[in-house]
Amino acid sequence: MKSYQVKIARSSADGGITRIGTFQVALEERMTVLDALFNIQRTQDDSLSFRCACRVGMCGTCAMYINSVPRLACKTQVSQLDTETVTIAPLPNLPVIKDLVVSLEPFFKQWKKIKPALHSPNRDATEPAKIPATSRYARETPQKRDCITCGICYGACGIKSTNEEYLGPAAINKAFLRLMDPRDTATEERLDVLNEERGGVWRCHTQFNCTAACPKKIDLTDTIMRLKRSMLFPSGFKKA
Amino acid sequence: MRPTTTTNVVRKYSWQFSGMVAHIIQRVTGVLLLIYLFLHVHTIGELSQGQAAFDQALLMFKNPLFRLLEIGLLGLVILHALNGIRLTLIDLGLGHKRQQQLFWALSIGVAGLIFLIAAIPLFIASVLRS
Repeated sequence: MKSYQVKIARSSADGGITRIGTFQVALEERMTVLDALFNIQRTQDDSLSFRCACRVGMCGTCAMYINSVPRLACKTQVSQLDTETVTIAPLPNLPVIKDLVVSLEPFFKQWKKIKPALHSPNRDATEPAKIPATSRYARETPQKRDCITCGICYGACGIKSTNEEYLGPAAINKAFLRLMDPRDTATEERLDVLNEERGGVWRCHTQFNCTAACPKKIDLTDTIMRLKRSMLFPSGFKKA
Repeated sequence: MRPTTTTNVVRKYSWQFSGMVAHIIQRVTGVLLLIYLFLHVHTIGELSQGQAAFDQALLMFKNPLFRLLEIGLLGLVILHALNGIRLTLIDLGLGHKRQQQLFWALSIGVAGLIFLIAAIPLFIASVLRS
């Protein structure tokens, strides 16, 4: 067991961060930041609020700002941080509800803009659509389909912090997947959203923060750059 | 379990954000170069006041402080240019997967090397001998 000092941003009822709570916790080597939070909640301060669900990095609910980097609390071992003081704050670029709990409403507002649902002309089809393993979609998007909508890329994005209208990396990645999807037909509508001056892909300044922070290792900057290049040519997303 | 060494931790966290470091470098050097350009245009503008005024303006740049700033300017130009080349390569889809290495090798390594090759003779000639 090793003792750690954990500093947690605490909020008032209206969500503003008002103070930093300091706690001392003893943890086993492989214990995570989420374990530390549970320990504090059970033994020191039961008013501490945070969110979690799956505890195995699948749901993305426990995304928070740990030692100045947005991370999943359940996948971050405290010993790997290589520090005796762990600082935990709510995810940036999102409104705080209480303590470490943020509202993902702005994130999903942008998400909805790119029409995330499949727009297929064959809505009444009874046969499942076939996507050949040789298609571009099957070959080039497997990892990009792993998004768990945790909001970490949204919190890490430097552009998002200064531009409320920017779609954010996750929404752009979703749009890219739909554009690549051979079953989808809403190409023009999505390209119009992606091409918007203030909110579209052209706002990205290639900081690579989203790629660096993504817990699923999705190369989000690659998605954005590929979209930029494809959008320069009208036939970039013509369905095969 | 992989041992927790400082190297592993640095690899896992800090290095990943070199893209942001590059972004900040590009912005800061860009703004500083813009300030220099205003100063440069202002100095050239002195020509309109006649040769004596221009010579007077140039005299200011002969003191050792400005000689040092000149070397600093060289560093800014090299850093901004090579980081710009890195960004252009990434925009074209080249070296994207190795952007971190590209940053350290090109924007910092090659830039540092070119700067030293150019700055040392400049320092000897313009600061030490003046």
